[in-house]
Amino acid sequence: MKKYSAFFLAIALFYSCKNGNNTSINNTVSADSGSTKQTIEKKANAISAQSIFMLADTFKTQHNNNFVLASLEGKPTVVGMIFTNCGYACPRLTSDMKNIADRLKANRGKVNFLLVSFDSERDTPAQLQKFAKQMELDSAWILLHGSDETVRTLSVLLNVQFEKDAEGNFSHSNLITVLDKQGLLSFQKEGLEADHAETLAKINELMN
Amino acid sequence: MKIISSIIFLFISIAFVNAQSLRGNIPEKKMIKIPASDFKTFYVSKTNKPIVVNAFSMDEYAVTNAEYLEFVKANTVWSRSKVNRLFADVNYLKYWESDFDIGRSNKNIYNSPVVNVSWFAARAYCKWKGKRLPTLAEWEVAGNAPPKNIAYTSVTDYIMKWYEKPPLPVLPNVKSTYQNIYGLYDMNGLVWEWTFDFNSFISTGDSRNTTNDNTNLFCAGASINVTNREDYAAFLRYGFRGSLKGNYCINSLGFRCAKNINIK
Repeated sequence: MKKYSAFFLAIALFYSCKNGNNTSINNTVSADSGSTKQTIEKKANAISAQSIFMLADTFKTQHNNNFVLASLEGKPTVVGMIFTNCGYACPRLTSDMKNIADRLKANRGKVNFLLVSFDSERDTPAQLQKFAKQMELDSAWILLHGSDETVRTLSVLLNVQFEKDAEGNFSHSNLITVLDKQGLLSFQKEGLEADHAETLAKINELMN
Repeated sequence: MKIISSIIFLFISIAFVNAQSLRGNIPEKKMIKIPASDFKTFYVSKTNKPIVVNAFSMDEYAVTNAEYLEFVKANTVWSRSKVNRLFADVNYLKYWESDFDIGRSNKNIYNSPVVNVSWFAARAYCKWKGKRLPTLAEWEVAGNAPPKNIAYTSVTDYIMKWYEKPPLPVLPNVKSTYQNIYGLYDMNGLVWEWTFDFNSFISTGDSRNTTNDNTNLFCAGASINVTNREDYAAFLRYGFRGSLKGNYCINSLGFRCAKNINIK
């Protein structure tokens, strides 16, 4: 009997939690198709309207698989925007993120690590895979290639500034972003070789 | 027979009315061809090469309230009450009477630029029209062309005069300022305009600075790397863009659309 009541209590709790957002009319933006779609989400875990996961565009991973941001749901995500021809700042940014990953120790499997390239032209999935090997990034890391439009949209959502010069290189802000399990922007830290204590504290808080 | 033909007639007229309402009553606006050119960013290092801007076409004037209303009617997710806050902040279309009504008291601004629209909204509008937002480089090339129908020969002088003036209580209609040598209206002097890559980084190459290089432009004593030190107008424009976010809706910021020119 005790077992059953616990079960019912769990169900009741579950329902009360999901009531807030179980049916919402969402306005998603897709840069790929160029259309604004109205989707009626009836899933219990409907994406929050403010979530970065509202960007419905399809990316390609370093393994040449299709990828939508919504598939990051369930774990907090650490995001950096880079380009792999970058001489100095990008390996640094990637190293900073690796450093965060290392300091998570046993918990690192509970966090997504995402690198999105500005360079739609040169950073093909194959090039991203090469970069992942070179930087010794393990399977917890997702490296993404997207169209100009898609990448620009993501940069706007993440408040990352970037610009392509005449040689095809990029000037950009060095921002590490932490998204919560639902894709809400929770924390950002600007700068290379910054102290990541605050970032780590935030990730730990979001894991639970 | 009569019944059938009247039914057919009814269907045709319904279809016709539908097509009419979808297209709207506002004629397609003229687009102006802007020839290819080199664009030297306002803020460059000595090593920076100019960016090649291909020929493109651009709306003759900014998107008006009346035009934008048609878009909202056809895409209700972009109405004021339904829009997602991620894509447009609380100031979105705030001066309109309601979701689908610009308002009687606003009748003087039906043909004025729509403002209080976000980057996401502006982009969605242009897509709906089969167009896109101009890039920053395209906008600068088009916007820096000299006026042809006013006393000013320098765009900068004209803009500085505009910045000096307090904002008017009612935003003037499109085509109320000047036309430039390309034939574009109001590129300066009416509203600021969104560009596709408004969030461009104002720097060059890899930045060794831990934050960003804007400090060279805005804080470091003299603006040493600015191509034209006299160009305060551009200085303000770049600074303004740098302060924007994609969902900001501001009462002095509108947009116009651009399109590629297909080379056959």
